[in-house]
Amino acid sequence: MKDLVGLIPLLPLLGWFITGLFGKKLSRTAAGLIACSTVLGSFAISLGLFFEVEHLETHRFTVDFFSWISAGTLQVPFSFLIDPLSCLFLLIITGIGFLIHVYSFGYMHDDDGFARFFSYLNLFVFFMLLLVLGSNYLIMFVGWEGVGLCSYLLIGFWFKNTAYNKAANKAFIMNRIGDLGFLLGIILIFLTFDGNIGYAEVFDKAKYMSSGDGTITAITLLLFIGAMGKSAQIPLYTWLPDAMAGPTPVSALIHAATMVTAGIYMVARSNILYALSPVAMEVVAITGIVTALFAASIGLLQNDIKKVLAYSTVSQLGYMFLGLGVGAFTGAVFHVMTHAFFKALLFLGAGSVIHAMSGEQDIRKMGGLKKALPITYMTFLIGTLAIAGFPLFSGFFSKDEILAHAFDHNKVLWFLGMLGAVMTTFYMFRLFFVTFWGKFNGTKEQQYHLHESPKSMTIPLMVLAVLSLVGGFVGLPEIIGTHRLEEFLAPVFADSKMKLFHAPLSHDTEWTLLITASIVCVVVIAFAYQYFVVKGRRPAEEGEEISPLAKTVSNKYYIDELYEALFTKPLNWLSDKFYKIFELQVVDGIVNETGKLVNTLSGVLRLLQTGRIGFYLFAMVLSIILILFVTTF
Amino acid sequence: MVIAGLGVIAMLSEIFSFKKLLYPLVLLGLLAAAVLAGLDWNHDTRIPLFGNMIMFDNFSAAFTIVLSFTGFLWFIMARDSFNEESSLTDHYALALFSLAGAVVMVSFGNMTMLFLGIEILSIPLYVLAGSRKTDVHSNEAAFKYFLMGAFASGFLLFGIALVYGATGSFDIPKISLYVAEHATNLPGFFYAGVLMMLAGMAFKVSAVPFHFWAPDVYQGSPTTITAFMATIVKTAAFAALFRLFSNCFIPAATTWSGVVWTLAALTLLTGNITAVYQQSAKRMLAYSSIAHAGYMMLAILAMNKFSATAVLYYTASYSVSTIVSFTVLQLVAAHKGSDLLESFNGLAKKNSFVAVVMTIAILSLAGIPVTAGFFAKYYIFTSAIDSGFTALVIIAVIASLIGVYYYFMIIINMFFKESTDDSPFVIGAAHRFLLIVCTLLILALGLFPDIILRFWI
Amino acid sequence: MSSIQVIPVHMYVLLSAVLFSIGVMGVIFRRNAIIVFMCVELMLNAVNLLLVAFSSYLSDGAGQVFVFFIMAVAAAEVAVGLAILSMVYRNTKSVDIDTLSKLKE
Repeated sequence: MKDLVGLIPLLPLLGWFITGLFGKKLSRTAAGLIACSTVLGSFAISLGLFFEVEHLETHRFTVDFFSWISAGTLQVPFSFLIDPLSCLFLLIITGIGFLIHVYSFGYMHDDDGFARFFSYLNLFVFFMLLLVLGSNYLIMFVGWEGVGLCSYLLIGFWFKNTAYNKAANKAFIMNRIGDLGFLLGIILIFLTFDGNIGYAEVFDKAKYMSSGDGTITAITLLLFIGAMGKSAQIPLYTWLPDAMAGPTPVSALIHAATMVTAGIYMVARSNILYALSPVAMEVVAITGIVTALFAASIGLLQNDIKKVLAYSTVSQLGYMFLGLGVGAFTGAVFHVMTHAFFKALLFLGAGSVIHAMSGEQDIRKMGGLKKALPITYMTFLIGTLAIAGFPLFSGFFSKDEILAHAFDHNKVLWFLGMLGAVMTTFYMFRLFFVTFWGKFNGTKEQQYHLHESPKSMTIPLMVLAVLSLVGGFVGLPEIIGTHRLEEFLAPVFADSKMKLFHAPLSHDTEWTLLITASIVCVVVIAFAYQYFVVKGRRPAEEGEEISPLAKTVSNKYYIDELYEALFTKPLNWLSDKFYKIFELQVVDGIVNETGKLVNTLSGVLRLLQTGRIGFYLFAMVLSIILILFVTTF
Repeated sequence: MVIAGLGVIAMLSEIFSFKKLLYPLVLLGLLAAAVLAGLDWNHDTRIPLFGNMIMFDNFSAAFTIVLSFTGFLWFIMARDSFNEESSLTDHYALALFSLAGAVVMVSFGNMTMLFLGIEILSIPLYVLAGSRKTDVHSNEAAFKYFLMGAFASGFLLFGIALVYGATGSFDIPKISLYVAEHATNLPGFFYAGVLMMLAGMAFKVSAVPFHFWAPDVYQGSPTTITAFMATIVKTAAFAALFRLFSNCFIPAATTWSGVVWTLAALTLLTGNITAVYQQSAKRMLAYSSIAHAGYMMLAILAMNKFSATAVLYYTASYSVSTIVSFTVLQLVAAHKGSDLLESFNGLAKKNSFVAVVMTIAILSLAGIPVTAGFFAKYYIFTSAIDSGFTALVIIAVIASLIGVYYYFMIIINMFFKESTDDSPFVIGAAHRFLLIVCTLLILALGLFPDIILRFWI
Repeated sequence: MSSIQVIPVHMYVLLSAVLFSIGVMGVIFRRNAIIVFMCVELMLNAVNLLLVAFSSYLSDGAGQVFVFFIMAVAAAEVAVGLAILSMVYRNTKSVDIDTLSKLKE
């Protein structure tokens, strides 16, 4: 298998090359088959590697290809590092990537840019694989930039109007700020670790450093700025909901399962550096939990099916960072995996719904779809249960692991985490009930066209549903069974575990947490059921009062009133305010102002260019005099 | 040897008026020049020519290869626009003389040759800039370029004279020796001379605040000539500046490093920021070319053992990318009749080949990974960091982020906007060949920088 | 001691600096292109003077050879410059350098 490592990224690159270059000459089926089979090939090799790494003595090996850069003290080889962490990400990227490729086959079938779409998708997979395979920060950076570029191309795949420019620019500026942090972080690593930027060299040195070093804190914080941009954390998150303009498979692959988790991968990869800096860990945890709560609260009121999922992605990414911040590295990576399963499933399910509704994305126009789309309905239910953390579903175990560590770290974090989980469960079931239950609210024409999606779309849904259902069993808590994933990843996190050592939670506490989470989940689902199904509430239409606290409701609905007053109303208000004030004005405002500042400066500097030779010469002479004058003193 | 070869070709082109034969002859001649320069490689000793007037060492050989090859690409690009003009052979000759001047500039061993090289490079260009005789813009460009160029030469000469007065020689090794031995008791006017030479050279590389000529001249000149200025002139000027300062004035570094620092920072920021506002793609590329001078000045400032490599790599990757962008610009402008950014709208639909090639070139100019431009910047930055100029590198990184913004405007226009007309966009075989070669070069330089550099060094 | 060396060298530096500055001022402030060209010549001649003075003080012939180069190049330069100017004049009917400010911003 070692000899085949190079093929993993090379196959999708080849696919890109063929579909991109000969796209017009190939038939749709051929282009699609090539694209899918290259990713499948990579998946097969990754699977082989996965089993091989587990049985290796060292649990890791590096494959050198060629000397990439040598400039003075800087020697950067082009080489890949295969260890449990990269293996796991390889499997997620190629596995889910393959399913999404298959799905796109059906989803994009009538599109003019079919081959072009697959070529971009393959190119994306290539860069993403490069990102996780590289054995040093520079290769990671190359992949990092590459996936950004592809996502930019894919977001704009359909959009032909000017609104896209704004959204794309926003995504661009935010990612640039992140990249700046990342790049400065790499430069600082280069300076601190005697000109090394390879993982092996840096982490070996870091192992023997003492905790609390200021430079390490600076490095980790800079890297984290990069992660914030890519993984959409406050304040660099608003580009992600906007990115939903792209085709749905793109949202599933790039903006849910893979690219946005690159930030998690980076922090998890650098775990030893973070372990050395308690301050950075604290910052990561707090950013994570604030983002999780914040995005979840906005998700409560969104009516666009993809926007709800987008905010939920931001919120789930927040959980992962919370996990990283409290030292639950395995838990965070575990959540990346389960999230990849269920979020991809949910996005693809949403895509299937949109497909059936002839492009409609507003959930208020849907309803009662469960009869027309039985497979989508069942799989979507599984996905929703998984994200809500319903007992025994995949999200249950991964979220529990993060929350248990949070509990251990600080009870407040745990409480906030639970609050976020409550909101998540609520808005997901709101989405679910409003879309699939009740009666149809769309136009006659839409109703006439309602149909279940073709096999190429439903099969990936079913596979993902099975994964979301059983995916959690690889990481059972200690009290129930063995945590296979933890054993598998142990070599990667061993050193930081030593640094961060603390006693495990008692079994009683752990049981209590598990049961609390389960009960809360079930209760919230029941609430949502009561609210949206039994009482048949629908989300407010445009212009309608947001919270029509029914004056006529009798005491019989006392619980509802309480619920509305204590829970829904303040949250609705908060959600609305956060969205309108913080997101639209503060965050976007800052981004737009930066752009404006550059534009204004540009406008002023431009005027220096008067076109008059006399002025030019005068400026030159003045500069020379200044130079002579300044250097003399 | 090489220079002699080039000179002969230039002479030939003037005497013969076999128009058909001339073009292939020029192309072959340039390739031969590149190969000959390659053969001079790895003579450990320098080859002195004309009584030490010219020192042909590895540095010169490498840059001569870059220059001749860029010249080769440029001639392919310029083919059509030459054919439109009446006095074809004159233009060939002028361009070749200018190129010969560039080669002299990268291999001078004496201040005299530096001065002569610059003038041989510039004087034909003044004429070429004004080669659209009836176009007022072209006139204006030529006039501005000429007047300001002559003015800057005055400063350069005054600087040379002062340095001569202080050290007693025009010979580079002798000056270097003298400066090293008398580092502490040089007369004040020596430093004034160094700074004036710096100002004169800063004009040639269009560093802020000596850049004012560049946007106007770039915009006014015919696009092919602009491409020549942006690639060959810039490469030669930087190589000369680097050669001059690395060989002569390192002991006096405390005097000029602060100045270069300021010039580099100003150049980076002004170039990139002003480019954002531009409506004309040609003028935007002019400002971007100013900004690129800022990056290269980092290497001059760093002046350590891999700065030369960094400058070489940067000029090579920059020249190739620039040739592509100007070729596409020229084609688009010819197609639409204007060089505004809007002219690029919907290019991806009309001719996806050109759009993809242009995108790669622009990504390279913007310094996005997997293209040559990324490693070019990367080498420059590591070189500067190694010499301890971290603050300036941070400014450069920020400036390059602004740069990405305006470069992407072209990409957005090409891919995400609709064209206003449906006329087909076709390109000739020669241009197609040129674009393919350049794109492959950009990607090869970007994917295997080390392999290529090792082959070279 | 030749007759040039009667005057100390820094006086020559000063003189040519003054001449050079006069040339610079002329270039900046005059608007007639022909006078501007003459001022550029003045700058170059200031340099020539300086070179000759240094050459004499250092007893080194190279400086004077350089002066010949400058003169030759300056002649070529002026030839090109006047050609450009006559071209400009044909199109704009003016030798005022400020009329040439169409290209800006």
